[in-house]
Amino acid sequence: MITTDKLTKKFGDFTAVDNLDLSVKEGEILCLLGANGAGKSTTINMLLGFIKPTSGTAKINGLDVIKNNLKTKESITYIPENLMLYPSLTALENLDYFAGIAGKELSPQMLTDFLKEAGLQEEAFQKRISTFSKGMRQKVGIALALAKDTKVLLLDEPTSGLDPKASNEFGALLQKLKKKGVAILMATHDLFRAKEVATHIGIMKDGKLRQQFVAENISLSELETAYLDTMNYKEALS
Amino acid sequence: MITKTFYKESKELWRDGRVRITFTIVVLLLGIAVWISARQYQNINEQHQIAQKAEREVWDNQGEKNPHSAAHYGTYAFKPKYPLSLVDQGVDKYVGTSIFLEAHKRNEAQFSAAADQTGLSRFGDLTPDFILLFIIPLLIILLGYNSFTKEREMGTLTLLKSQGIVPWKWALGKWTALFFPVLVITTLLFLITGIVLSNLKDFGVFHWGSLFSLFLVYIGYYIIFINIVLFISLKASKSGIALVLSLSVWILACLAAPKAASNIAETKYPYPTRQEFASNVLKDKQNGLDGHNPWSKESKMLEQEVLAEYGVDSIHKLPFNFDAYRMQKGEEHEAEIYFKHYNYLKEQYSKQSNLYQSLAIVSPYLPTRFLSMAIARTDYTAHWDFSDAAEDYRIATQKFLNTNFAENSSYGEWGYKADADFWEKLPDFDYTPPELNAILSTNASSLYILGAWIAISFGLFLITTKTI
Repeated sequence: MITTDKLTKKFGDFTAVDNLDLSVKEGEILCLLGANGAGKSTTINMLLGFIKPTSGTAKINGLDVIKNNLKTKESITYIPENLMLYPSLTALENLDYFAGIAGKELSPQMLTDFLKEAGLQEEAFQKRISTFSKGMRQKVGIALALAKDTKVLLLDEPTSGLDPKASNEFGALLQKLKKKGVAILMATHDLFRAKEVATHIGIMKDGKLRQQFVAENISLSELETAYLDTMNYKEALS
Repeated sequence: MITKTFYKESKELWRDGRVRITFTIVVLLLGIAVWISARQYQNINEQHQIAQKAEREVWDNQGEKNPHSAAHYGTYAFKPKYPLSLVDQGVDKYVGTSIFLEAHKRNEAQFSAAADQTGLSRFGDLTPDFILLFIIPLLIILLGYNSFTKEREMGTLTLLKSQGIVPWKWALGKWTALFFPVLVITTLLFLITGIVLSNLKDFGVFHWGSLFSLFLVYIGYYIIFINIVLFISLKASKSGIALVLSLSVWILACLAAPKAASNIAETKYPYPTRQEFASNVLKDKQNGLDGHNPWSKESKMLEQEVLAEYGVDSIHKLPFNFDAYRMQKGEEHEAEIYFKHYNYLKEQYSKQSNLYQSLAIVSPYLPTRFLSMAIARTDYTAHWDFSDAAEDYRIATQKFLNTNFAENSSYGEWGYKADADFWEKLPDFDYTPPELNAILSTNASSLYILGAWIAISFGLFLITTKTI
């Protein structure tokens, strides 16, 4: 599971994340909504240990990500907005390499099974990544999460730039992972996708978590209103 | 992680068309260079054998002749062609292939390959050492300049870091992937060379040990380049910058530093000009005993000394021909003069060489080149060794001839002629070049510097991986 306790990151005078308290349990999907610069990606980068917090703590499965960086990464899979893989390697080779890096030695059959489970078409398995669309690459990322038997999935704008079909397929894959008990934290601008896949939704602004909802207790229109209110977009529009 | 990354990198490198083409070109060039060199050296060696045999036959068949006339007639000492000169021809091309041995005079080696070539030779030859010293480091740059920068540029580094890579293990995987093709090419070259050399007839004594030492020196050289190129790739923000920086290092290390070192060494410890050298020798000769001049002050002193030693009052009463005796003493005096002046040249060369070697700390090319030429027996030290051996043989020959003259004739008997079969009694010029152990011991400083380059560059590379 993912927990942050008064997590703060300052870049000089600018506070990117401000006393953030989060908790994502097994089988939960928390979607963080917010404008650019709200602090969503910085939060994810701190959970990955890429950035050291100024204060507060970030924990994965109860382990501090800074003190136990390598250990926590064993259970994390990270899919950024643009998942970049090795273009001259095939999907199978990429999966084999990244899983291997994470300490998972898998047979070709298992690798194939994970790619299938991630929804990638079989004829693409042996094709080089340079021929893949963004949606196909994201599926390889999900296959990696499956191959790693990941416990925590961190997603940074994963559906941005995907066509509706690919975005829908990606949402379905997240549901599958949720059922497997994976704790998922997704930063997104996509309210519709957030409402569709999330168990919990948070709205961030200026590094703070301004509002948090249980997804099933709020309609899409209410979410939209809450989001616009939080961002002060309504006043700006009027 | 190391193995996984090694396989992944190797696949990527092999699938990159640019790399395949470069690799093929280098292997082709190496093949052509070895083939050209093997043919060239086989031809030269055959010519040497023919010339050596012919010259000895001429010497042996002089017929009845005065020994001192034979001394002036002279003969040649032929420099053997060493098997590993096929890999590194060093200074062989410029220093001459044979030395004319005659009375009263130490000659320099002549008939160098460079002297027989046209101005086109300024473009250089396609030889294995050119490929080994210049082209393979370029190949390393082409294969490795973007090894780390591409990960940043493609965005794969983020995913890798999120997977929990151990930086030094990951970097070592990349290191081995870059080292492997270089190892394959170098092994291939040395294996082919070894097979070619061990199958060439009359090509001198070939030792696999020397070839293996040479192989290790070059592998060390490439390890240094791999370390430097990967270090730059780690530090550079973009592939283009990494390429420019790596090429700059290559230019500095392989082109600029050797030339600058050469200029500095020659300026600090200059050689005398040929005229100066000849004039200094002549001056010393004029101040000593001239074997041909019985009336000089020095000759008269020698005469008095010999008469006193043998307790006689006339040189006619000596048990040998005093003319020949004086001739021999004159030879010994001249040999000392040559020894003194050549020794000065050797000292200057040694100082130049030491300065050159101390500059090896700025370029791994320098210790590698020194060791390569030394192990191939094509450096100046090997040439000096041959030249000294030829001079020893010249002195021994003069003594052999003068002794015959002195013991078989009497004073003033210039018409004396040695028997026709006498010339065959002169032993052949039998030169053995220094052994590998002696060469390595002489070049220990280059070995240490090369070792330091390997250790420091690798340490720097590994430390820098912490910044990933």
